[in-house]
Amino acid sequence: MSFLYDWITRDKKRKPLPAKDRSNLPFARLGFTFKEWHDGHINKHKWRNRRWAFLIFINLLFIVSFALDLSVLEGSLSGSRLIGIYLMDPFNSAQELVIGSRLGYIGILTTNFWIGFFVIMTFYWLLGGRAFCSWVCPYHFFAEMGERARAYFIKKKKIRDKTYDITVKYIFWIGFLFLAYLTKELVFEDLNPVGILSRSLIYGPGLALIWVVAILLFEVFGVKRFWCRYVCPIGTTYSFIGDVSPIGVKFELDKCGYCTDCQDVCLVPHELWFVKKGAATREVHFTGGDCTKCGLCIDICYGEALSFGFKAPSYVIGSVEETKELHPLEIPDDEIDKKQEK
Amino acid sequence: MAATNPKINRRQFLKASVSAVVSLAVVGSAAYYFKDKSSLREKGLLRPPGARAEKDFLFACIKCGLCVQICPVRAIKLADWNDGLSYGTPYINPDVQACDFSCDAIQCAETCPTAAIDFKIFKHAGDKAVAPLYKKYPNGDFPRDMNPFKVQIMAMKRADKIGEAEIPNPNQCLAYHGHGYKGTLGHGNKGKLRPPGQTERIRIEETQVNREICDLCVTYCPLGEDAIVLNKIEDGKFLPEVKDGCVGCGVCQMVCPTNPVAIVVKPVDKEPQFNV
Repeated sequence: MSFLYDWITRDKKRKPLPAKDRSNLPFARLGFTFKEWHDGHINKHKWRNRRWAFLIFINLLFIVSFALDLSVLEGSLSGSRLIGIYLMDPFNSAQELVIGSRLGYIGILTTNFWIGFFVIMTFYWLLGGRAFCSWVCPYHFFAEMGERARAYFIKKKKIRDKTYDITVKYIFWIGFLFLAYLTKELVFEDLNPVGILSRSLIYGPGLALIWVVAILLFEVFGVKRFWCRYVCPIGTTYSFIGDVSPIGVKFELDKCGYCTDCQDVCLVPHELWFVKKGAATREVHFTGGDCTKCGLCIDICYGEALSFGFKAPSYVIGSVEETKELHPLEIPDDEIDKKQEK
Repeated sequence: MAATNPKINRRQFLKASVSAVVSLAVVGSAAYYFKDKSSLREKGLLRPPGARAEKDFLFACIKCGLCVQICPVRAIKLADWNDGLSYGTPYINPDVQACDFSCDAIQCAETCPTAAIDFKIFKHAGDKAVAPLYKKYPNGDFPRDMNPFKVQIMAMKRADKIGEAEIPNPNQCLAYHGHGYKGTLGHGNKGKLRPPGQTERIRIEETQVNREICDLCVTYCPLGEDAIVLNKIEDGKFLPEVKDGCVGCGVCQMVCPTNPVAIVVKPVDKEPQFNV
């Protein structure tokens, strides 16, 4: 576990690069003041609009497929079939495998189950893990609106903001699997707002929606993004594969003006830890597994320092030992001379 | 975001983990408490054909609803929260829309990715039924009047028993009093079904029937006289008799014109194979 933690935080543990000079900031190089540069940017919400359009499209496709009997995207987000190819919810499958391993059911699961499980894992590995959250999950859409409502109430000083330790999500992840093992039931599926909402949209609303509304209200007036950040084991499963995904939000220190506006709009601000002045440890950084690839930071960035990018293979499989590597500024002069001689 | 003071960080983490563990314990004990309190059985609702025993079914079903979507007569519905831990699992209410087997493929079982509705029983039964035919006519040159597919699908329909029809109170039955029936099929419910021997589905609320002695449950039974026959009790008095061949599809209950219905399908309890 600690190895995993070390590996995930490998970049954070490096010695930070020195903060850039004021004259070396992108707006200064262009001959603007910070205010001119900052206010001159028009946020076109390119990625946000694309994302919302896709999210609505995919959920509508589920609804329309059932209502009109189209056989394009059948099932719900717990398990579905896209033009004949099965897709399985990874945490649902994980629970099924845990119970199956106890009761000898794994051999009974159909080939379609395994196809669905691996297709989904590979797909979201390629597209960056929690991309599911912001691009597909219907609960996220409402939670995002809830977050806006919450921001409004905070502005009106009706509620105060507080953050908690996000590592608690790993406890929930293990806990829900353990509960599935103990009770031999898909316990999480009874509480899962993603499944409940998806089924309610497709097959018609039911009593279970009360639970979803309750969580949503708690997210607005209680703890910010309570479910998505601290509980949802589906997101945690996706964040595991997102850590080794080849895609991420790429940050180029060179183009950054240290405004940290991106962190303000980010849905998972701890993933953008490197945008603060003097925090970056590399010239190029990538967001980690919790990043939902929503693109809000890319939309708001004035210097285009943030973009979607492919990680170099060494970045994906980068080892913990790498953190012990000396920073160029720390390498003694004689070693640099040696290198130059070579 | 990240607190610089490790002490605060640790306290925060401990606090969050304790509340996480407590809430998980609450959820776990609630799940344990509600475990065997499924009200689907008491309501007389059926599982789709091929469904595993209730105890196995509840962990095997991932509540995706693929079976709901593939059913051509939309007989399968998903349970809600008031059915406890059965939430999201499929059921059939024969009072509204029974499984009339008109899909001819038991697709709900075939589509299930976790085999909570097991297709293997149907496949084995179908293969077993046609095997002697293929032995007799090895190259598939069957006589004109023989359709191996019909033999196969009939065997598949008979392969799994999800319930059994019973007549709780013969006094409700029209035939028992020697009455006929004129009017639409069913008792005010809407539903679809394909009558035996026909190729098109009919809507029961639009179908007019006129019988001297009401025998609707017998004529519309997809399994025929293996499952249900009309017996003469005394002069002018009849009563349907449910036989061993009944699989509990529920068509008889759907078409029964009396209110409350005279013939009711009760779910049968299967032996769990895994969650024993």
